[in-house]
Amino acid sequence: MEQVEKIFETRELNVNMGPQHPATHGVLRLVLDIDGETIVNVTPYVGYLHRGIEKLGESLSYFQALPLTDRMDYVSSMSNNIGYCVAVEKLFEIEAPERAKFIRTIVGEMSRISNHLLWLATHALDIGAMTVFLYCFREREWILELFEKICGARLTVTYPRIGGVRNDVSQEFLDSLYQFTEEFPSRILEYETLIDQNRIWLKRTIGIGVISAEEAVNWGLTGPTLRGSGVSYDVRKHFPYDAYDKVEFEVPIGTEGDTYDRYRCRMLEMRQSNNIIRQCIEKLPPGPVMAEAPGFTLPPKDKMFLITHPAKEHAYYLVEKACKGCGMCLRACPAKAIFGEKKKPHKIKQELCTGCATCYVTCKFKAATIVIGGKGLAEEKLAEKAVAPDQLPEEVKKAQEYLVKHFEYIKRGPKVPQGELYVSTEVPKGELGFYFVSDGTGKPFRMRVRAPSFIHAGVLPRLCAGHLVADVIANIGTIDIVLGECDR
Amino acid sequence: MAVVLVRVSIPQKGIDPTELAEKIKEKFPEEVVEVTNFRDQVSVIVKKNGIFQICKFLHDDPVLNFDHLQDLCGADYHGKKEPRFEVVYNLYSIRFHNRIRIRAQVPENDPRIRSVTPIWAGANWHERECFDMFGIVFQGHPDHRRILMPEDWEGHPLRKDYPLKGPALEKDWSGFTDVLKRSEELKEFEWEG
Amino acid sequence: MMAVGASHYDFDRFGIIFRGSPRQSDCLIVAGTVTKKMAPVIRRVYDQIPEPRYVVAMGSCACTGGIFRTYSTVQGCGTFLPVDIYVPGCPPRPETLLEGMMMLQEKIRKEQARWSPWR
Repeated sequence: MEQVEKIFETRELNVNMGPQHPATHGVLRLVLDIDGETIVNVTPYVGYLHRGIEKLGESLSYFQALPLTDRMDYVSSMSNNIGYCVAVEKLFEIEAPERAKFIRTIVGEMSRISNHLLWLATHALDIGAMTVFLYCFREREWILELFEKICGARLTVTYPRIGGVRNDVSQEFLDSLYQFTEEFPSRILEYETLIDQNRIWLKRTIGIGVISAEEAVNWGLTGPTLRGSGVSYDVRKHFPYDAYDKVEFEVPIGTEGDTYDRYRCRMLEMRQSNNIIRQCIEKLPPGPVMAEAPGFTLPPKDKMFLITHPAKEHAYYLVEKACKGCGMCLRACPAKAIFGEKKKPHKIKQELCTGCATCYVTCKFKAATIVIGGKGLAEEKLAEKAVAPDQLPEEVKKAQEYLVKHFEYIKRGPKVPQGELYVSTEVPKGELGFYFVSDGTGKPFRMRVRAPSFIHAGVLPRLCAGHLVADVIANIGTIDIVLGECDR
Repeated sequence: MAVVLVRVSIPQKGIDPTELAEKIKEKFPEEVVEVTNFRDQVSVIVKKNGIFQICKFLHDDPVLNFDHLQDLCGADYHGKKEPRFEVVYNLYSIRFHNRIRIRAQVPENDPRIRSVTPIWAGANWHERECFDMFGIVFQGHPDHRRILMPEDWEGHPLRKDYPLKGPALEKDWSGFTDVLKRSEELKEFEWEG
Repeated sequence: MMAVGASHYDFDRFGIIFRGSPRQSDCLIVAGTVTKKMAPVIRRVYDQIPEPRYVVAMGSCACTGGIFRTYSTVQGCGTFLPVDIYVPGCPPRPETLLEGMMMLQEKIRKEQARWSPWR
């Protein structure tokens, strides 16, 4: 070997696995220092998907920040929403009703199965087992269709709300879900038949990315990544939330701390989630799905339907006599449908008007009014039919007031006591923590998201040292990162 | 190679957090500024100088055994109170189920604090993010550079006086303005047809 | 996007396959939010695709920046790339993306002399 060294003069090579790469899950950049085929050091660079969610959360109220949490870990968005809602409910000191807790547990576990299916699909695809990818997506489509049945969206649902869930589940949904839980164990068996005893899979996962229990805890790992090393830390058991203390389930714990053990942990977790869903469906109690906390939850929308329902036919009109031309509605209109000069009465262009009632809310001189049945009418007819806002029929006035209250409520947020809070939940990837600092207004003063993928990406150098280049791919797969959550 | 299914029972609660705070106060009387309690979560506000000793004590003590650093983040109280910054450590003990939160005050004119990476290796990336977002310098950190923003970005985004929409286009990050310039130059070769 | 590539909404029957390298591909799908840190990388990848080349902006964030109006988000990849098809949605349904790709195929069919040497 020394003679070879003298002739060839080997040195370390610096290879960039750039942000655009088919095997890195999202935009993760790795710089590998390699000596031949063995890795000396790996430096991960993240931040290519940093969107400033924490800063954006500070300028939105608690209700408005809920859709932001969907888009962090976009693979299992139900769990993110549940984590946020549980944290904010603790901050507001309200409690979701029993039925809502069980429903949230059901969808949380469904999203856990969906996440593990995607994990298995991409992990196996990277290692080389392409059939598993297609099989897993078949089940995942089933779950996404069930999500669509429940709330209309497949991926970024905003279904769990502060104080409960958005709407109740139908019996049809529960029946199809029950059928899913009956068939799913046989599907898991299919995947296991393909790879569990496969020599190539075993060769590529046993002994790769080994980390001991103390080191794993020291590095801050959580979730199945930690449990593969033998530490029994599951947030659902340590800090129970929702209905997890009312169902029985077991937590798979590994022994060796390598990729194969983490894989087995996640496969067994899928079976446990299946079991939890079955128990929840059987134990689902009747009742409301939204908490009765008038100061802290969004009021129902049906009182506004008189004027906000899309099928209704009405138009918004600015009464000329009352309009002072102050220009506030012009600046506030999101569709830019109001025209006029300063100190002269303004006009609404009906083709551009979306009927959002912003002008009604902003006008201090009571010049904006609603014309029932006025959709599509010409300007003069509207002027005839329009009456001043005080003389509108009672129901319309009530609906308007309700709309205004709802509007202000979402924009300004509830009155929250001052203080700070850290609440964590178990998302499929690990422990998702929310740290809120509240300063008494309806917007969080500091919203901090403790993302498991961020910490898991940091442990890559420790896992990859001394292995071969192909094992880097296996390691990225086993720590289960999603860059949307890592970078926020 | 075996993975076993474990029936984890719901653990008993650990030491009462107020007692824990008292213990810390006894051991480090000059460092502790205040102890607050909100929704049964106790925070101990300390000065920044003794943070390494406090964390080492909490980690190594056999009864307390805070081995899991749940979260390390910064907070900016610009205009609300002095000192301006705070570094918040959320700690948990997996074996004994103790919880505590330590908040170290960091003033604006001297935003340096000792890094706890020798105690918890997972604090590495947390502290890098804290530096990136707030500008708090961690002394003794093995790899002190920006993590989420590009390396040559100016400013610390999560500070309260940093605009949400970012700097104006002329003062924006040079990498991005270069891309825009380059795409303008190459536009003459793009034709809709 | 992965769901479109899987078996339920198969991409392959429309003649579309995912390639690992820009040198072997015709179309670049920009999916998800574009940040300022990532913009030079995307431009570089686009420049590496040999002509004729097309760009599909998938999702609200790639089209216009979406709900993220912050310091680090580019308000639409159209600011530095010549986009052919905008596919809206957050996230777009697989059928929406399929329709977007079919519209792209239609657009390519109708093109005349777009990639000719006399531009």
